Amino acid sequence: MAEFSASVYQNEFLPDGGTDVHAIVTVSCSGAGAAGQTGSGDAGEIIIVDTSGSMGADGVRAAGQAAQTALDQILDGVWFAVISGNDRAKLAFPPSPEPVMVRMDQFTRQAAKDAVARFYADGGTAMGTWLRLASRVFATVPSLTQKHAILLTDGENQHESPEVLTATIEAVTGQFQCDCRGVGVAWQVDEVRRIATALLGTVDIIPAPDQLAAEFSSLIQKAMSKGVATADMRVWAPQGAQVLFVRQVAPTVDDLTSRRTEVNALTGAYPTGSWGDESRDYHVAIRLAAKGIGQEQLAARVQLAIGDQVVAQGLVKALWSADEALTTRISPEVAHYTGQTELADAIQEGLAAKAAGDTATATTKLGRAVQLAAQTGNEEATTRLRKVVDIDDQDTGTVRLKRSVEKADEMALDTASTKTTRVKK
Amino acid sequence: MTSTTQTVCPSCGGPISDADRFCEACGAELTPTSPTTPAIDTDTEPTIELNPGASAVPGPCRSCGGTIGADGYCETCGTKATKPRDHFSEQPAPWVAGVCDRGIRHSRNEDALAIAADPEPGSRALLVVCDGVSSSLDSDVASLAAARAARDVLVAGHAKGLGTESSRNSAVVARMKAAADAASDAVLENTSPDSPNPASCTFVATVLEDGLLVAGVVGDSRAYWFPDEAEAVALTVDDSWAAELIATGVPRHEAETGPQAHAITRWLGKDAPDHTPRTTSLNVTGPGWLLVCSDGLWNYCSEAAPLADLVRQTAAANGGEPLATSSALVDWANAQGGQDNITVALARI
Repeated sequence: MAEFSASVYQNEFLPDGGTDVHAIVTVSCSGAGAAGQTGSGDAGEIIIVDTSGSMGADGVRAAGQAAQTALDQILDGVWFAVISGNDRAKLAFPPSPEPVMVRMDQFTRQAAKDAVARFYADGGTAMGTWLRLASRVFATVPSLTQKHAILLTDGENQHESPEVLTATIEAVTGQFQCDCRGVGVAWQVDEVRRIATALLGTVDIIPAPDQLAAEFSSLIQKAMSKGVATADMRVWAPQGAQVLFVRQVAPTVDDLTSRRTEVNALTGAYPTGSWGDESRDYHVAIRLAAKGIGQEQLAARVQLAIGDQVVAQGLVKALWSADEALTTRISPEVAHYTGQTELADAIQEGLAAKAAGDTATATTKLGRAVQLAAQTGNEEATTRLRKVVDIDDQDTGTVRLKRSVEKADEMALDTASTKTTRVKK
Repeated sequence: MTSTTQTVCPSCGGPISDADRFCEACGAELTPTSPTTPAIDTDTEPTIELNPGASAVPGPCRSCGGTIGADGYCETCGTKATKPRDHFSEQPAPWVAGVCDRGIRHSRNEDALAIAADPEPGSRALLVVCDGVSSSLDSDVASLAAARAARDVLVAGHAKGLGTESSRNSAVVARMKAAADAASDAVLENTSPDSPNPASCTFVATVLEDGLLVAGVVGDSRAYWFPDEAEAVALTVDDSWAAELIATGVPRHEAETGPQAHAITRWLGKDAPDHTPRTTSLNVTGPGWLLVCSDGLWNYCSEAAPLADLVRQTAAANGGEPLATSSALVDWANAQGGQDNITVALARI
């Protein structure tokens, strides 16, 4: 049985007239078990592979091999399907004109492997059609509580307007989770990140096709270890208070604020997807009406809920004090993740400016990113930034844009921009 | 004031010791620097049960009337639920009641209240208030133990002496001394022998029996008699620097707002030089209000006459009901700032 715990890190002391309370809430899960085997419903997995013409014969062969490796990792008993996508989506397995899924066993696994071996490159790219088909396929098995997909693409979404893709993303949000991977350098990080973020998944670059199999294998293994199908973060704030934001800040930055659904007038629920044995950090900010010196009140109850069951709770408090030694202290956890969030923004904005030819803004933003990465000890980010900029002084954030940059390095910096380092507690 | 190391309060300039958590003068929160002071856990409940057998389920939120959650906070407005020790009341008979409250500025309630009364209005009432010294450890536990021990001694003895007025008075005064002894013992029992900062508290008690009213005091908690048809009387004189200044001719307001205003010269506790209560006696000849209170109330209204007006007006607004009136007086003190713990006990005679 999965066990959850929540810990709160904050400075609860507010000065006279202070209104804003910030806290980092760490939620940890242990004993999650395996997907579809905890008695709380079945698990479903769909592998979506880009088979557009741009993949070419070699690309499609590599993708097929990767899909075969992925199929090996799907646990017996898990419902699954394989979709091949170009400017249309096609159910590659099970072979059926109508949406359908089957349970994994030795026979279906072999049949599916045979089917993906027959992939061939043809046509354009319309990812929205792939997502819609996946949603319909999942819907054929009502017992599924955990629905996860991996999506592989190699190019831009050329055969579908951005508006159609946006509408599709909205339509399938909440239907299933999706980790997205781009192979090569011809795909758009922004576009794929939009899909992954909305569908509570990750995005990353796979520079060369021969790295596909290992990545797919690892993604499926991770999905299979998520024994808790779905959970919500709930944030209660007192009457009259305002929830400024709710962000996941580790392992990646993900702003949940706009995904609120109402539990009751004072409590909002934010989807967090499935959970394995892991720990995630959330940054919650609440604005209260100021109270008198010496008064104490609860600023937020931060809970993790599975269905209607609250499985962990952390209390965020506010205590007004006249003691400046207490009120001016900044929680190291809050400071760390505030820096990491700004780092993610600085990288994305810097790269966007660079792409738009705005060298001055790009230099400033990426310089700030270098500074923040150094300050918050995010060495991975520093390493990735070094491939895009020459660093003169990381303390002041003085950098120069590199004259020639590997496109893959720039994309890797972009996709990894939301990855954070844990604060040392 | 019981400590040897003297520094000044950053808020009002009053004297404080390096172990103080609050300034005795202005109530400002301090950060104790004394290395011998253990960390204060304000969430620790006192070891004494307030209402034995009473349900532990907290009542509605005192701020908005909402439901208190299992986590101890209101489910609507988030206000921290009052701990039983932070606010409690007693009403042993319809004509006698008291309320003891944490106030606003202090993080815990070190005031204590213990009262007893016979059902017959105006017959017999015993009121005890102790105010824990906030610079000492466990004063909240010690003050409540002291108040209850004193009350029990006062309740148990009902000696009438030889029947003459003077012997009756002597008997009550002797009982008052015994009650102070019992209170002092209770404080000592709640002080660890090697405490660097032994618990200490004030003591004020009144005995009303058959028309005789006796008040005894150690420290700066007070008793007043407010007859309906005569002038208000302060039954006690504080054992404080302010009182000594007043005795030398310094105006009361000036003495009681000076930096040393709240430094008391006598108290109950391990390091107390003497805890014999100073007593005053008078014969009650007509109806009136008996008030026993801590400095959390009289800080905001010290003179007998205006305090009598305040009590009478508050009583009139509450239908003359002692509990509602006590509660309203506590609310009034909180509205003035609630700088200290507040205790108000009233008997309608």
